[in-house]
Amino acid sequence: MTSTAPSKRRGEVLLDVQDLSVEFDTEAGVVRAVDGVSFTVHGGQTLGIVGESGCGKSVTALSILRLLPRPMGRIAHGRVLFRGEDLVTVPDARIQKVRTGEIGMIFQEPMTALNPVHRIGRQLSEAFLLHQRVSPRTALERSVEVLKRVGIPSPEIRVSEYPHQLSGGMRQRVVIAMALACQPALVIADEPTTALDVTIQAQIIELMKSLQEEMGMSIILITHDLGVIAETCDDVLVMYAGRVAEQGTVDDVFHRPSHPYTRGLLSSIPRLEYPRKTRLRTIEGMVPGLMDLPAGCRFNNRCAHVQDRCREETPGLDRITGEHAVACHRWRELAPWQEPVA
Amino acid sequence: MSGPLLQIEDLRTYFPVRGGVFLSARGQCKAVDGVTLSIWPGETLGLVGESGCGKSTLGKTIVRLVKPTGGRILFEGTDLATLSTRQLKPFRRQIQMIFQDPADSLNSRLTVGAMLEEPFIIHGIGDEAARLERVRELLAIVGLQPSALERFPFEFSGGQRQRIGIARSIALNPKLIICDEPVSALDASIQSQILNLLLELQQGLGLSYLFIAHDLAVVKHVSDRIAIMYLGHVVETGDGEEVHRHPRHPYTRALISAIPQPVPHRASQRQVLKGEVPSPINPPPGCPFQTRCPHVQDVCREQRPPLREVAGSGRAAHAVACHFDL
Repeated sequence: MTSTAPSKRRGEVLLDVQDLSVEFDTEAGVVRAVDGVSFTVHGGQTLGIVGESGCGKSVTALSILRLLPRPMGRIAHGRVLFRGEDLVTVPDARIQKVRTGEIGMIFQEPMTALNPVHRIGRQLSEAFLLHQRVSPRTALERSVEVLKRVGIPSPEIRVSEYPHQLSGGMRQRVVIAMALACQPALVIADEPTTALDVTIQAQIIELMKSLQEEMGMSIILITHDLGVIAETCDDVLVMYAGRVAEQGTVDDVFHRPSHPYTRGLLSSIPRLEYPRKTRLRTIEGMVPGLMDLPAGCRFNNRCAHVQDRCREETPGLDRITGEHAVACHRWRELAPWQEPVA
Repeated sequence: MSGPLLQIEDLRTYFPVRGGVFLSARGQCKAVDGVTLSIWPGETLGLVGESGCGKSTLGKTIVRLVKPTGGRILFEGTDLATLSTRQLKPFRRQIQMIFQDPADSLNSRLTVGAMLEEPFIIHGIGDEAARLERVRELLAIVGLQPSALERFPFEFSGGQRQRIGIARSIALNPKLIICDEPVSALDASIQSQILNLLLELQQGLGLSYLFIAHDLAVVKHVSDRIAIMYLGHVVETGDGEEVHRHPRHPYTRALISAIPQPVPHRASQRQVLKGEVPSPINPPPGCPFQTRCPHVQDVCREQRPPLREVAGSGRAAHAVACHFDL
């Protein structure tokens, strides 16, 4: 039942993150929230980053735009090459221009991403005023246009309203409009639909897909929902406790999951086709805290296939085929091509 | 011949909407508006709906955390809707509740041991030694170490806190547990652990559940029968498999098609609903779904469709509140 639909043609590499590590100073010492993460995003394509709370997916996204909370957080190591330019080392003035001008960001909670005391139109105009140096009147006209584009009814009226006057779904459309205002080459969306209802989530996903087709931007989509990843992404990065567990195309990861964690996640989600009231497969235990990570493979205390080696040696990313790679000592023996669901 | 454990008839819960200088009632928020449902011993009724549809208010009304405006809540034949607080006390033992966010629903100043002992003290059950033994037993049932007794809620992870919430809810051997979004705050790998625990407890203790959630896949997995709620009304109810395979209400169909499935390149015949859920404050007459329904006719704007049986009858009935056979 493995269907391998032809994936979209690969564009050029737009973003190339190499060996990124992020550290935070805490009262208990330095914590490495992201440890040696590498990935690429191609032009016009969508990369999904999936993982459970605390796995480092949001921190990875924030570091791309150098939005880590300061002074506690810092990029300890690695490069973030955006069109060949290393965003880690560019001057502040340059990163300012990149933010929203070239890379847009969509946050999870639209109410906190919008300023409650400014009208929608004024907040949207800001992007045009800053990056396109147009008159306030033109900026407002462009705001109306971009609101229309994200499917907000009567945008001429909405620009003079405040965020609290809009529903959750409408607010998320405004946040998307803001991220897209200056036609960025890349949009980073951090859990853009998590706070929304299913039917509204479907609307927003369709909207993002059609905008991508129309404008050709690349998207990094961060979510804990494997369903959303499967339906929207070309490539996937599965993160666990700050590291990459597995990465590859959606077909690789969903049809040939090779890390025990990926397989565990895929088979623990209840699906409509499952017979009711049957035991779900689980991953025993819980995600370790970043302060007490196990030595060796970080998944070793929850893995059903753990061996001594897993407790001692950190597994490197092994290339399986093409872009499909996994960080597991035992992926070869563990029947990696079995269907995710028995 | 045993009947349903819980029978809700035409239940209504309205909240006054206040405004103006003297905070006079300006309107009514019809959170639950004429719901009829029943739960049989040992079964799970799943209640699905989006935020603001009234599913949580319905759960709270059944345990009488909220007083109903009208209708009946028959628990083993006794109408709870009209009982006084004192009269309710024996029934509180029988109907318990598990909440969404275990961080908010556990008292942060009590140790787990003290928290789990409380129900026995309130209801005057056993002496201290017997209570302690029962508390240890409860911890073992939900899969926690005895060392949890001396610890405080903040020392536990989300999944473990939910286990504490579950232990508290089963302490007094209830017959019915209202589970209000019990897994939606949990990570995927923890969610399946808790769902398995709830299924085990049901088999072992013969519990009945009203399982409230927004995630249809989760609800369908744990439930025997399901009910779909929209804007204070039940729009469809029936056997879980039947409703999934042959959904009759346009809202149910849209809800099923909106769930993202972890299968890449799924033939995208998704039916995306336009618009949003209207406000339950002074809703228009007629069908609650009329503003978003792709099949809306004049009659939908005038008459509210009753919940009518389209297949089966009694407990096995598949009922839908739509004027048309779509």
